[in-house]
Amino acid sequence: MATKTTPAEAQASPARPAYSRELLTGLYKMLVKCRMCDEKARILFRQSKFAGNFYSNVGQEAGEVGAAYSLRDDDWVAPSHRDWTANIIKGVPLKYCFAQLYAKATSPDGGRSSPAHMGYAPLHIITPASSIAGQLNVGTGVALGIKKLGHDSVVVCFFGDGATSIGGFHEALNFAAVHRLPVVYLCHNNLWAESVPLRLQTALTNLSDRAKAYGFPGVSVDGNDVLAVYEAASAAIVRARSGEGPTLIESKTYRWYGHSEIDPAKYRKKEEVEAWKKQDPVARFEKYLTEKKILSEEMKKQVAAEITAEIDEAVQFAEESPYPTPEDALKFVWS
Amino acid sequence: MSRTLTFIDAITEALDQELARDERVFILGEDIGLSGGVFKATANLLDKYGEDRVLDTPLAEGIIIAAAIGSSMMGLRPVPEIQFTDFVTPAMDQLVQQAAKLHYRSAGTYSCPFTVRICCGGGVSGGLYHSQENAAWFVHEPGLKVVMPSTPYDAKGLLLSSIRDSSPVLFFEHKKLYRTIKGEVPEEDYTVPIGPAAVRREGNDLTIISYGFMVHVALEAAETMAQRGIEAEVIDLRTLSPIDKETILKSVRKTNKVLIVHEDKRTMGVGAELAAIITEEAFDDLDGPIMRVTAPDIPAIPFSPPLEKYFLVNPDKVVAAIEQLAAY
Repeated sequence: MATKTTPAEAQASPARPAYSRELLTGLYKMLVKCRMCDEKARILFRQSKFAGNFYSNVGQEAGEVGAAYSLRDDDWVAPSHRDWTANIIKGVPLKYCFAQLYAKATSPDGGRSSPAHMGYAPLHIITPASSIAGQLNVGTGVALGIKKLGHDSVVVCFFGDGATSIGGFHEALNFAAVHRLPVVYLCHNNLWAESVPLRLQTALTNLSDRAKAYGFPGVSVDGNDVLAVYEAASAAIVRARSGEGPTLIESKTYRWYGHSEIDPAKYRKKEEVEAWKKQDPVARFEKYLTEKKILSEEMKKQVAAEITAEIDEAVQFAEESPYPTPEDALKFVWS
Repeated sequence: MSRTLTFIDAITEALDQELARDERVFILGEDIGLSGGVFKATANLLDKYGEDRVLDTPLAEGIIIAAAIGSSMMGLRPVPEIQFTDFVTPAMDQLVQQAAKLHYRSAGTYSCPFTVRICCGGGVSGGLYHSQENAAWFVHEPGLKVVMPSTPYDAKGLLLSSIRDSSPVLFFEHKKLYRTIKGEVPEEDYTVPIGPAAVRREGNDLTIISYGFMVHVALEAAETMAQRGIEAEVIDLRTLSPIDKETILKSVRKTNKVLIVHEDKRTMGVGAELAAIITEEAFDDLDGPIMRVTAPDIPAIPFSPPLEKYFLVNPDKVVAAIEQLAAY
């Protein structure tokens, strides 16, 4: 179990089990897809193609992909504001992801939630509120429902380091522990809760230590190593699915950009940002796969070209989609 | 077959029968299992249905509500209990930001049909933190239905309607009703629909609009005034959200005078909204100011008996207001 917090220390890749070429290339494609979609979203926002704000996940893709990649359609995801890409990983058609940013009538919520606050009921992704950590509680409630109904699906709750300070975090994890619920808590510890550094958020070095207080396993992993997260998440998912209860995973990572696109993040030192960018989860995995002779320059170009075409099509769909009619604001108040 | 039951026995019977009828239903909350609830509303249900259906929870209102939200999203029908409305505040985020908005923010693709039973109300020496009402907080949140029965018949029928409703419902139970109010309750399954108000007493001189325990206070005052030749119509709202405008306006158009009686604080309370609705929609029918008898605007019900008495609405205060209004 890695417990390192600095990028230099996190660089060495541990020995890996023999993963199939299909899995490795699949993870790679998804990492690249998340990166490219997120960067495209940032460009579109800067071009004023959509209003509001956007919460970039760039730099944290390994945590997102590693945790969500192997989920089944009937597994649940409780995302936060920074987990727009969880929708992409779970398999939501890309056109709906971009329609969400554009707040068009074709978005899964008909333009109600702000960009990046995205869910998708057909794949059991819970449309998030903005209240930090609220999704942990709702996700835990879903896990209770799964257990009561005797299903074997699981819930993955995504959140950041800031969310671990709120009382709701404690209530959720404690309840999940009492009832051994099928839930995985995946904390992207990116060292900054908006502008508040981790040292003012918690006295802990490893946020996974909190799991001890609840009586279930907690692991801290190199969150810029997609295989490290994948391994930890796979073990946690198996554990949850087999009725053994929750796991807390701390994915130690870094967000490259501000809290949101309107935050220049001047509170962070340039050297810190640059050091973490050298630990780019996409570049690291490319290097690993290239050394393994799984990835070639030609494949990289082909993957990028395919994703570009898919994004272009999705953006076109979003741009050509109609806005909701004003009176639609009155729909869906009562269920 | 109809029997005379106390208000709380009607609640217990509704829970019992719904647990038996629908295996998706389960109840959860603090002290509801082994102890059968602080007021014994869930007495013996743990023995009868087991821990899977009757769940004592950690002392954490937020996760009690969140457990209900999430499990109801899975198709279950949870009925959580908040022991005292004074302690609903730790669950505000879950109720207001999650439950009230889940259906809306997902464009109808998710819903959370649960019914939270909330014990409320003063007059039992509960002090600041065991006496509040606070229903108005939730009436302000579209997406949440708010129900507050005043009779054992409605308690059972509305609770069954609430559990079977597809929206989240806040079901307020005034604790003073639990054992002081008795009434006829059919043993068999029946429902009282969410929404419609009830006219508890007919009269032509003025309309009193109330809900919960205050309905009984209003009725007592109305009987006193009847002896003085003034006939008040008494409306029991039963549901605070959505509000039954039709019944209210029909009565106002008949009596032309309105007195609103509620136990909760005055400013921005349920009465303020009722007054606004009536002036907007029946202004020409009014022959006097819309008046309110409410608690004063102080933070909560103080404990010492004279202080508590000062806070609470009683029949004398209502009688005085009726006399004042009738003079117009």
